[in-house]
Amino acid sequence: MPGLATMETNTSASVSPVVSFDICETYASFLKNEELSAPLAAILALSKLIETSDAGTMLELVKALNDGAGALKASTSNPISLNAGCELFIAFVTLLPHDSASFSDLKLELVRQGQKYAAEALTYRDKIANLALGFIKDDSVILTHSYSRVVMKTLLRAHERKRISVYVTEARPRGLGLRTYEELTAAGIPCTVVLDSAVSYVMDKVDFVLVGSEAVVESGGLINAVGSNQIAIIAQAANIPFYALAESYKFHRLFPLSQYDLPTHTSNILSFPLSPGGNVASPQTTGATKSAHEKSSNADYIRRMTPEQIACNPGVDYTRPDLITLVFSDVGSLTPEGVSQYVVGMFAG
Amino acid sequence: MATDPSSVANQRVVETLASRLRRRQVVGSRETALETVLVLRQVISKVRFSNIDQLVEIIRSIGRKLVEAQPKEHTVGNTVRKVLHHIREEYHTASQGTAVVSTSKDTLSIAKFVLQGQPRQQNVPQKTTLNESHGMLKENDADDPDAFARTLKPVLMEAIQDVLDELETVYDNISKNAKDHIHSDEIILTIGKSSTVEAFLKAAAPYRKYTVIVADTAPSYSGHDMAQSLSSAGISTVLVPDSSIYALMSRINKVMLGAHAILANGGMFAITGSLLAATAARAHSTPVVVCAGQFKLTPQWNLYHEYGALDFADPSSVLGFEEGNLVDKVDVVNPFYDYVRPELIDAFITNDGDHPPSSVYRLIKEAYDDEDYEL
Repeated sequence: MPGLATMETNTSASVSPVVSFDICETYASFLKNEELSAPLAAILALSKLIETSDAGTMLELVKALNDGAGALKASTSNPISLNAGCELFIAFVTLLPHDSASFSDLKLELVRQGQKYAAEALTYRDKIANLALGFIKDDSVILTHSYSRVVMKTLLRAHERKRISVYVTEARPRGLGLRTYEELTAAGIPCTVVLDSAVSYVMDKVDFVLVGSEAVVESGGLINAVGSNQIAIIAQAANIPFYALAESYKFHRLFPLSQYDLPTHTSNILSFPLSPGGNVASPQTTGATKSAHEKSSNADYIRRMTPEQIACNPGVDYTRPDLITLVFSDVGSLTPEGVSQYVVGMFAG
Repeated sequence: MATDPSSVANQRVVETLASRLRRRQVVGSRETALETVLVLRQVISKVRFSNIDQLVEIIRSIGRKLVEAQPKEHTVGNTVRKVLHHIREEYHTASQGTAVVSTSKDTLSIAKFVLQGQPRQQNVPQKTTLNESHGMLKENDADDPDAFARTLKPVLMEAIQDVLDELETVYDNISKNAKDHIHSDEIILTIGKSSTVEAFLKAAAPYRKYTVIVADTAPSYSGHDMAQSLSSAGISTVLVPDSSIYALMSRINKVMLGAHAILANGGMFAITGSLLAATAARAHSTPVVVCAGQFKLTPQWNLYHEYGALDFADPSSVLGFEEGNLVDKVDVVNPFYDYVRPELIDAFITNDGDHPPSSVYRLIKEAYDDEDYEL
């Protein structure tokens, strides 16, 4: 552990005129970059925080970083992958052995490291795509879930050399599967959208399942868009490989034992209405849906979930490690046990 | 350089082994591994090089040639990778003294932090104690291009000797704990004639009284030799047909298999019938234990295992020409290896400890360098 640096340069830092540094805003502005995923944006935002912070000691700096991470976490309903980035960066900051002459030098070095890593990490998806390519045979039929940038990259890369066809789940409620569908079809890959509820129907036609990830946790399990878990269970039952793609900055020190241990789980999710019928859509929303559909056809109007009903549902779920065949990451193709080795290496001394 | 007499001799050695591999005059994973090390040793002792990259490239090109000659003998490639790993290691320790102390430049980056985990304390003092006493390693010396080779060769020879020693003692090291794995009055099923399993079972014989059931392993019937060898060592041995494996499984305490190659996901290629035995064992929850040397660890994930077999043997042992009128009416295949999935294996007993299939990838990461996975 690096010792606490002396405070000699405290004055020079506090002179800087920055007063209103808003970490959430900075984070949001980084996220606008399509290529940057949440953990990287978080690392960049925290680097920015170091740059503007007037902390004079390591203790102050780490506290500022933790506060910043806390603020980021509070600003979003799904802090999992963002957390992974913050955790990685803060662990790095506290453990970096350094020989900087002054504390401001150290801060500069930390900022530089953060930015360097974010730049480097942008190449990770390519690395993963190349790694996964070896596992994709010619004429493969692949099932994927929702939308993931690394999965897209892998599929497009595979399409350059091999014939592949893809089933993608609709991934309600956000319907991101349709985005996958559009992009793959535009690239000329045969692609069909399947209902989330039709996964078991389609499974026997599939060679393997390929999903992205929100985070990979210490047990080697996977946190990803809701529905991944059931796909993994069905794939296991059908004896079909289930591959997850995860950049190493998504390795997260978390050990959920069930779905309800996830930080995204709130008491609202899956709650029953207090009064009977209280959860049923209010008359006016039903009316709105109805009138919209009445124009097209009166007879078969489609029942849809209301936003309130959707809000009672989880956005991500946890897939147990024993259901995952392999995790492809930029550090290599790993068995789920392999992931925990890396997480332990980083966070447990 | 091609006209250099030593390199001609080197080429000849490599070509000889390559053609013997191609003709299947060298078979068996340990045999091919040994031959490969010997060839590499001979080549390195004669070859001229003035920096490490040249040497590595020479060895890789030999490796490529040998692997191409017989891609189904995985241990050839593995041995080349292992030798390369040792060479780099020796080079790094040898060059540490000469290189300007690189601690200051060598700061931790986040990517490295992810890869290697927390910085370890012991790295720091180790570098400072090494002084320049034996720092004579000079790469690309224009006046004396052989200087680098001259200083490095003795340590390289030692490194190769280590690989050779490992191969030579592999059976002893695997079977040294045999009596802890086999208990009295156990009934063990094995299949085919794996020298590793044979040595393992024999090593336990003086300490334990147990029974081995050997499947006769058609169509090679290598089980017959195995049964003979075991019974002559005083082990009570029963020879059974392959078709009775499932029926007998309920009475068996443990299945012991040999391996042809162990893949990075923990699966393995083994003689045909292994999958049958492993699946039957799974149905009865009987443990499946694989005895294999670490030179069989292959940095490949099973990719095209749908065909179940990797190699095909002579079909005449399945259907001979004496049945002439049948021969042109049917296709006969005689697959030689089964792919056994990692889920079906409980443990690997190796010359360096016992490991579950899930940690095979880690052993592979330790044994070889990542850049050598593709030779």
